[in-house]
Amino acid sequence: MTLDILMSILVAGITTGALYALATVGLSLVWGSMGMLNMAHAAMLTMGGYAAFTVSSALGLPVIAGFAGAIVIGMIGGSLLYMLIVRNLLKNDKSTFESNVMIATVGIGIALENAILMIYGGQPLKQPLSIPGTLMLGPLALPYQNIVIILTVVVLMAFIALLLNRTRMGRAIRATAQNRDAAQLMGVAVNRVYFQVLVLSGGLAGICGVMVSSITQLSPPLGNDPMLKAFIMCVVAGLGNLPGAVAAAFGLALLEAFIQYAAGARWGFPSLLFVVIAVLIWRPSGLFGRAQIRRL
Amino acid sequence: MTAATLPPVLSLKNIVSGYGGLDILKGISLDVGAGEFVTVVGPNGHGKSTLLKTISGLVPLRAGSISIDGTEVTGKPHTVAGLGVAHVPQGDMLFPEMSVLENLLMGAYLAPGKAEIDRRLDEVYTLLPKLSDRRHQIASTLSGGERRMAGIGRGLMMGGRILLIDEPSLGLAPLIIEQIYGVIAELSKAGRTILLVEENPARVEDLADKLHLLDDGAIVWSGPPADLLAREELLATYLGG
Amino acid sequence: MSNQPVSRPNSPTGSAKTDLAITVVLIAIAIALPFFVDSRYVMGQIVLALFYATIASQWNLLFGFSGIFSLAQMAIFAFGGYATAMICFYFGWNVWAAVVPGAVGAMIFSLAVGLACLRLTGVYVALLTLAIAQTMYQLIVTDTECFTMVGSICRQFTGGAVGFARFGELGTRALLKGQWLVGNYAIVATLFAITMLFTYAIIKSPIGLAFRALKDNPGYAVARGVNRFQAQLLVFGISAFFTGLAGGFYAAHFQAIGPGILSMSQLMFIIAVVVVGGVGTFWGPLVGTVILVAADELMREAGEFRTFGLGIIIALSIILMPKGLVGRLGDLVRWSRKRGQAAHREKLAESPAPAGE
Repeated sequence: MTLDILMSILVAGITTGALYALATVGLSLVWGSMGMLNMAHAAMLTMGGYAAFTVSSALGLPVIAGFAGAIVIGMIGGSLLYMLIVRNLLKNDKSTFESNVMIATVGIGIALENAILMIYGGQPLKQPLSIPGTLMLGPLALPYQNIVIILTVVVLMAFIALLLNRTRMGRAIRATAQNRDAAQLMGVAVNRVYFQVLVLSGGLAGICGVMVSSITQLSPPLGNDPMLKAFIMCVVAGLGNLPGAVAAAFGLALLEAFIQYAAGARWGFPSLLFVVIAVLIWRPSGLFGRAQIRRL
Repeated sequence: MTAATLPPVLSLKNIVSGYGGLDILKGISLDVGAGEFVTVVGPNGHGKSTLLKTISGLVPLRAGSISIDGTEVTGKPHTVAGLGVAHVPQGDMLFPEMSVLENLLMGAYLAPGKAEIDRRLDEVYTLLPKLSDRRHQIASTLSGGERRMAGIGRGLMMGGRILLIDEPSLGLAPLIIEQIYGVIAELSKAGRTILLVEENPARVEDLADKLHLLDDGAIVWSGPPADLLAREELLATYLGG
Repeated sequence: MSNQPVSRPNSPTGSAKTDLAITVVLIAIAIALPFFVDSRYVMGQIVLALFYATIASQWNLLFGFSGIFSLAQMAIFAFGGYATAMICFYFGWNVWAAVVPGAVGAMIFSLAVGLACLRLTGVYVALLTLAIAQTMYQLIVTDTECFTMVGSICRQFTGGAVGFARFGELGTRALLKGQWLVGNYAIVATLFAITMLFTYAIIKSPIGLAFRALKDNPGYAVARGVNRFQAQLLVFGISAFFTGLAGGFYAAHFQAIGPGILSMSQLMFIIAVVVVGGVGTFWGPLVGTVILVAADELMREAGEFRTFGLGIIIALSIILMPKGLVGRLGDLVRWSRKRGQAAHREKLAESPAPAGE
């Protein structure tokens, strides 16, 4: 393996790792704080990608507006998810929430994907929010798009870490994740926390959708592949464990990139799955997770 | 120290609550006056924790009424906390992955401003200097006694008008229990209103103004602690000697 | 300790008498159906619906009764179908001979999946089984390597994106000529009946009781020696046998099998059937199938709105009636019975009064 092949695998691996990390964090945040596995996350990702397309291509507004549009649509999606689904399911028996919300969001996810198909059609579209060109650093070829993705993800991760660790709202989110009853006793309105978390994760999904479509293409099932990967990364890290999720995302993305190079693209995901199952047999609550505890 | 002339800070009238198809509390009435120290004793599993959880809203009220300062409260735990009820729950229920300081800051979640938070922090650190030493330690790594102190400290950070304390001696070594009750005695002396539940009436003999004996979800006896301790037949019947 | 009677946990089935009555009525309907249905299209849809009901009943056995949230249900169904088709295609077996090894294959596949997943709980099981199902789909669709040549056409080992066709049939055409569809209907209806019978037996068996105990009080059940993992693995395997068997008959009935049945919307349909009918109710999957196949026929007019509508139906029904139609019906029956009892008790209370005066 020559150096430039190794480099290009690394660049590809780190870029997809950044995307997976973004998708995984959005999922893990919601799971960690409210015990909800959002199966509609993939559709929210796709919505973000298409929103950016509509704003900047169809309406002809500047790129930054397209980006903002994706975030706003994602946040609206998250808030609607709370108001229409989650709030109603929380009224029922608590013990059934986990599976009911999963089934409900499976339904919402497929309905949204289908709605996008009906509005935009099935043919792939080009995401206008992509930057052509490559930065050459000696033997290293860095496409600008990949640099933008990696930088954006780093900034977002820092933002989330600051939000969770340094703000009153973030502390309330973590408190709710670690002990919901105690958080309520401290005066935290957990329903408001749930709303905030879903809006936040919706916004992240929107950004992630723009990023993913900028290196591939826009299509209605856009979010499904990163989401499936994000699922197994969450499983490896232990659901709700954010730093673990980020580490798992980069690790598995690099592994995937190497396997795809060595054995062909179709073996990438099966190999990941194999690794995940091996990890789980070894440590049933995830690589970094401790049994039965979810937290942020 | 009794404040019979003042209106009660907390007043329970015939409250009924429980889980699923089961009523745990079957009509409990009691008052806690300003600055009073009231204790509810009773064997395990007879509703002591449920009583405090019902007051703070973690267990929904099924019948009866709860009033704070004369106004009836019916609400979720976070609104009750907003009314000045600080519940120090059984088993501490700290936020395990947060530092002691973050736990204390969560206690002051509803505090009006930074100055007030700092003032309460100073107060808590003065009363519980151990917490100051341990402020950056993660809560799940604390010892049992330190955890209990952090739980009490977090409750104090809420700046509530009334402290609900659930079995502060549970699972601690005798020496530590003494320390914890020392802190509670200081709080009471400083004029705090306290409703405490405890299995062993002897622990509150010198502290409590009034004592209620709880059996199977109902109050079966009320009076000063010394009177109960003198009634051996009551102790034998309800608390197993 | 309590002054209120603890409400008896809802039994997953009706009383034995009700279940027997429903069974008799259903068998009568099943026998009468071919005499009333002339349309070949409708008959075909009924056969398809019976397949859905079979898969759904097994998913319900997993999720509703045993607490296994498996999203690999269609993968196991497809495994049975593919195994049957491949045995016929590569070894030239008769489909009747191939369905049983096909079902056993599906069972072995599911036990492997179960060994990997079932030590985990709840959502982890869902995520892993979904990933396994998707992997199976992707591996089949992206299979482009020639395994054998059929004439001048290259055949992949898994059939690739096209799948397998014309590998054999159930033999009803030779036997019944124009009425072959009725013959297939009889076969699939029998398969469904046998599946339901076994499901009933499992629910009433010690395993079924163990699961109810695990649901009501996990700590106590575990303390009494109920091993969740082993019990779940057992049910996972048994249900996979029937699901795989249904897959084999599905392939034989349509004389074709392709990766399309692994798609998300197929899985969605099965989940919708169970959710609408009633999760954890014995008759729920059948009721759900009738309702959703009928709704699906109506939505066919709406064309592209079909999948959209399905998604919305799933979300709405889990919010509005988490226990499904059968659960709602059960609530209604219990409510009216309670009212009846209350009225009866009032009468009893009133009647002695005059005597006392």
